Amino acid sequence: MENITSTIQAVPLNHYILLSAIIFTIGVIGVLVRRNAIIIFMSVELMLNAVNLLLAAFSSYSGDASGQVFVFFIMALAAAEVAVGLAIIVMVYRNTSSIDINILNRLKW
Amino acid sequence: MIDLVWLIPLLPFIGFLINGLGRNVLPKPLIGTIASLAVIGSFAISLSIFLTFDAAQPQVIHLFDWINVGSLSIPFAFQIDQLSIMMLLIITGIGSLIHIYSAGYMSHDTGFGKFFAYLNLFVFFMLLLVMGSNYVIMFIGWEGVGLCSYLLIGFWYSNGAYADAAKKAFIMNRIGDLGFLLGVFLIISTFGSVSFTEIFPKAAGMVSGDATLILITILLFIGATGKSAQLPLFTWLPDAMAGPTPVSALIHAATMVTAGIYMIARSNILFALSPVTLDIIAVIGLLTAVVAAFIALTQTDIKKVLAYSTVSQLGYMFLGLGVGAFTGAFFHVLTHAFFKALLFLGAGSVIHAMSNEQDMRNMGGLRKKLPITFLTMLIGTIAIAGLPPFAGFFSKDEILAHVYEHNKLLWIIGLFGAFLTAAYMFRMMFLTFWGNFRGTEDQKHHLHESPVSMTFPLIVLAILSIVGGFMGVPHALGGHHWLNEYLSPVLAATNNILPALSLDHATEYMLMGISVGGVIISIIIAYVKYVSKGYVPKEEELQSGISKLSYNKLYLDELYTAIIQKPLDALSAFFFKVVDKSGIDGLVNGLGKVSIEASKTLRLLQTGNVGFYIFAMVIGIVAVLVYSFIII
Amino acid sequence: MSTLIVISILAIVVLYLGLFKAKQALLPISVLGLVAALALAIMEWNSNAAPIFSGMMHFDNFAVAFSSICIITTILVFLLSKNYFEKISDNVAEYYTLILFALSGIIVMVSYHNLSMLFVGLEIMSVSLYILAGIKRKDFASNEAALKYFLMGAFSTGFLLFGIALIYGASKSFDLAVIAQYVIDRPTGIDPIFYVGLVLMIVGLCFKVGAAPFHFWTPDVYEGAPTLITAFMSTVVKIAGFAAFLRLFSICFAPLQDFWMPTLLVITILTLFVGNITALYQTNFKRMLAFSSISHAGYMLFAIVALGAASTNAIFIYAAAYAVSSITAFAVLMLVKAKTGSENFEDFNGLAKSNPFLAFALTVAMLSFAGIPLTAGFIGKFFVFNAALAQYHTWLVAIAVVNAIIGVFYYFKVIVAMYFKDNQTKQIATPAYFNFVLGVSLIITLVLGIYPSFITNLF
Repeated sequence: MENITSTIQAVPLNHYILLSAIIFTIGVIGVLVRRNAIIIFMSVELMLNAVNLLLAAFSSYSGDASGQVFVFFIMALAAAEVAVGLAIIVMVYRNTSSIDINILNRLKW
Repeated sequence: MIDLVWLIPLLPFIGFLINGLGRNVLPKPLIGTIASLAVIGSFAISLSIFLTFDAAQPQVIHLFDWINVGSLSIPFAFQIDQLSIMMLLIITGIGSLIHIYSAGYMSHDTGFGKFFAYLNLFVFFMLLLVMGSNYVIMFIGWEGVGLCSYLLIGFWYSNGAYADAAKKAFIMNRIGDLGFLLGVFLIISTFGSVSFTEIFPKAAGMVSGDATLILITILLFIGATGKSAQLPLFTWLPDAMAGPTPVSALIHAATMVTAGIYMIARSNILFALSPVTLDIIAVIGLLTAVVAAFIALTQTDIKKVLAYSTVSQLGYMFLGLGVGAFTGAFFHVLTHAFFKALLFLGAGSVIHAMSNEQDMRNMGGLRKKLPITFLTMLIGTIAIAGLPPFAGFFSKDEILAHVYEHNKLLWIIGLFGAFLTAAYMFRMMFLTFWGNFRGTEDQKHHLHESPVSMTFPLIVLAILSIVGGFMGVPHALGGHHWLNEYLSPVLAATNNILPALSLDHATEYMLMGISVGGVIISIIIAYVKYVSKGYVPKEEELQSGISKLSYNKLYLDELYTAIIQKPLDALSAFFFKVVDKSGIDGLVNGLGKVSIEASKTLRLLQTGNVGFYIFAMVIGIVAVLVYSFIII
Repeated sequence: MSTLIVISILAIVVLYLGLFKAKQALLPISVLGLVAALALAIMEWNSNAAPIFSGMMHFDNFAVAFSSICIITTILVFLLSKNYFEKISDNVAEYYTLILFALSGIIVMVSYHNLSMLFVGLEIMSVSLYILAGIKRKDFASNEAALKYFLMGAFSTGFLLFGIALIYGASKSFDLAVIAQYVIDRPTGIDPIFYVGLVLMIVGLCFKVGAAPFHFWTPDVYEGAPTLITAFMSTVVKIAGFAAFLRLFSICFAPLQDFWMPTLLVITILTLFVGNITALYQTNFKRMLAFSSISHAGYMLFAIVALGAASTNAIFIYAAAYAVSSITAFAVLMLVKAKTGSENFEDFNGLAKSNPFLAFALTVAMLSFAGIPLTAGFIGKFFVFNAALAQYHTWLVAIAVVNAIIGVFYYFKVIVAMYFKDNQTKQIATPAYFNFVLGVSLIITLVLGIYPSFITNLF
């Protein structure tokens, strides 16, 4: 464990923050530009993983384990979200034979 | 016993609920019994509180916190002290008698249940008014009794004139209420509280003649002129006789109309520190007393005579308040409640016997047919005229003694009014009970003494009218003025400010002698004119000379129409056509149009497209970040 | 904390009841269980509880009050559900279970004392709601609602989490007390990433309560989801969102008011205008309610903008008033829809003649929404505005009053339809459960409106 901590700390904290921010932004842009529900969903997962990375880095820099525990929370709940989300996408696909999000715009105005 | 005080208003309220909900279901005797028992129950509790209460300080019974806003706290609480106890006794005591009387009087009416429900509701609100420990509770009662008065005046609402009378009463009361309400607001902003026990000690520390206090008291007094029918707002009270006679007795003679006097007596310290307001009250009271007495001289409707006499007597009470005779004014409230309720109920008994005839020109000679009514009404009349030792003598005399000390001119005018009182009251008696019967054969046939449920209250009230004055026998006559001592805790602060009566006994005897002598002369004049000469006023005679002025009520109604109603109509037409139609409607419609146009456009933003939504969200997030970190 | 345990176990029990085909027992058991949970919650009132589960949660008076109001509203929703779910699907037990799970998430949300619990509670609630919104599997509108809600919800959760991570990075803890101490200890020199995290958390929470410009999901999801689920979302979920929002800000971020207040102020004003103005032109009653719920979110945000001692009370009263009125509106809507098949304003024509009680209850609810005196809504608005005025946001109150006037316009549209427009409709049969719920809501609305004191001094 000592090893991993020191390995993580070999990179300055700001770099982790920057990297996470970049990954997060990539995720956001992915959500913005793609039409395919599954890809949007994957981009959301990317955003969550950026958060996980950030938490792990903070955790090891501050010597506090709770950040890493939080990462597990996020993983578990993301998994739950995946299960439900994919089910919803499948349900939509069965009805519309498409997973393009722009097909769904009956509810408006 | 004082813990049960919340039951006092609750019982009539329960009665109201039962009778109101069951008015079409319950049998009439049951309705009458429930209504009467509710008020009698309250009377019993009030009586036991009266007998056991001996605290020098007012007792506040806190029921619950009603409104708490910022620093202002308005509890729902009752205040029991000597003043409210006396009022409680009057309201529930006379209220009980009138409930019993009504059970007989209204027995043929189809709206029996409704009538008793309203009557109970009235008692409930009246009790709130006198028991409230702050101005807001008092105001609830104040408005509530106004509402019940409106409902009961318009009780036979299918008659258009009656409904108009109800509206008139309501509107005139509202004008006064506005003054009261403004006064309460000013009290809140000045004292930061509405509770009596907090305001009065603070006020006692202020200097006499403080401008804020004067404004507060004038506003409160405006409220009182509406409710207690003083100039210029008194014209509703005679019209209010459209209601059933027991209502006139209870609401428009014994209780509600004295609310204004109660309110001023309750706030005595505020008024004692505002000499300017006191002078205004004295002048208004005196003017009302004389003007109403003058009008009463020529009225031919038996209830109208009593109505104007009520206005006139209320004027005397205000005169008493104005010259600082708080005890005297309140004393007159009590005695007046006895004999005026008696007179109204007697008049009701006469009207009942005469098959709803109210014009005295069609009565006469009823002495033999209605012996109990006659005797009791005679007692009432003597009491109001002010002959010793009947109740009215002591209270009126006390007021007049204070007036004499205060200002001789006011005293002379007031005395003149007292003579007029004796004259018109005995005129009414002579026209009604002496001479020959002038009604139709049919009416003559039906003449009968009223049932026991109606004569019993008459007898009780007659006894009270005889002995009621003994609670305030002045020192000059060897008494020790029990009422003055009883009320002294309530008036303690005021008594330190205002000088006590300092007439010597010889002067007092002289004053009494003058007033008694004048009254007897007035009675003799009336006797000669209406009995010896058998004069009965005719319509054309009433329409000539000075009688015309009196008979037409000084044309006050017409005057109000000309100087208030017509300009108001014109103003409201202007507001309606110009300000409202083009101005406010234009603004509102404009706002509406702009909003709807905006709505049409804005809702298009809701495209239904998730991609757009997310895009808008991201724009929003960027905007928030930019706003938070760059702009600010 | 037994409330949370009871509700979680109840959800599982109900799920098993479904497995054993005990359909008749579902509703009574759910309601009884919730009543028990409610009683357990109320028993903890004023018990001065300390944080429990290693400081994860804190069942203080705030939590008790908001849990209670959420549980009561859920009970009312359940009472409306008799025979409703059966029409939509065969697997009735799932509805009850999912709503109960969502409720357990909500209990966590109103009593968290650690940011991880905020996240966990929020997710338990959201995931249940994603399924509930799309539970009519064959219905396009329901599908669309579920997908929109899910995609946007997951997206916004990302921002919330990023915010939490940054705040953790600065303060080195998820514990609310530690974060609050971190803020207090550093009048100057708070790490800049803390501020970024704060703003991102505002974004995430504003999404959950449906504040503009993060409100776009609200009308579509509310319209597409089954009406009863909409009723649940627009009342319980929204209240929970505000409770979580307020809890976080009043405990942790109160000293930083100068920083976040202007941002939130702009969001509040935008929310008010968007909600009210867009609601004006709606023809669909349910969609109008969705926009009206956005505007009510704006009013409740007021109390957070003017964060102070009175805020909790203001939001609590407003939420209570809003919840009962919403329940009434949705209950009447469900009855009308069952009769006419659509949800437009015209469907309410002549309701006053055919069903005077329904019309009266709905009228009182609308008056309460509009904030007319003698209804609970007036008291709610009064306290919220009062809180804002206490902080001298005078012109903000002026804007809100203009909005309240606009609100009157569309709320009265339905009253006008019910009372002044004629339609030859037959009487709608109202089940006893509905009458009960409507009666309870009516009484609460009027009692709160006339005698608010017993709720105004809770905190």
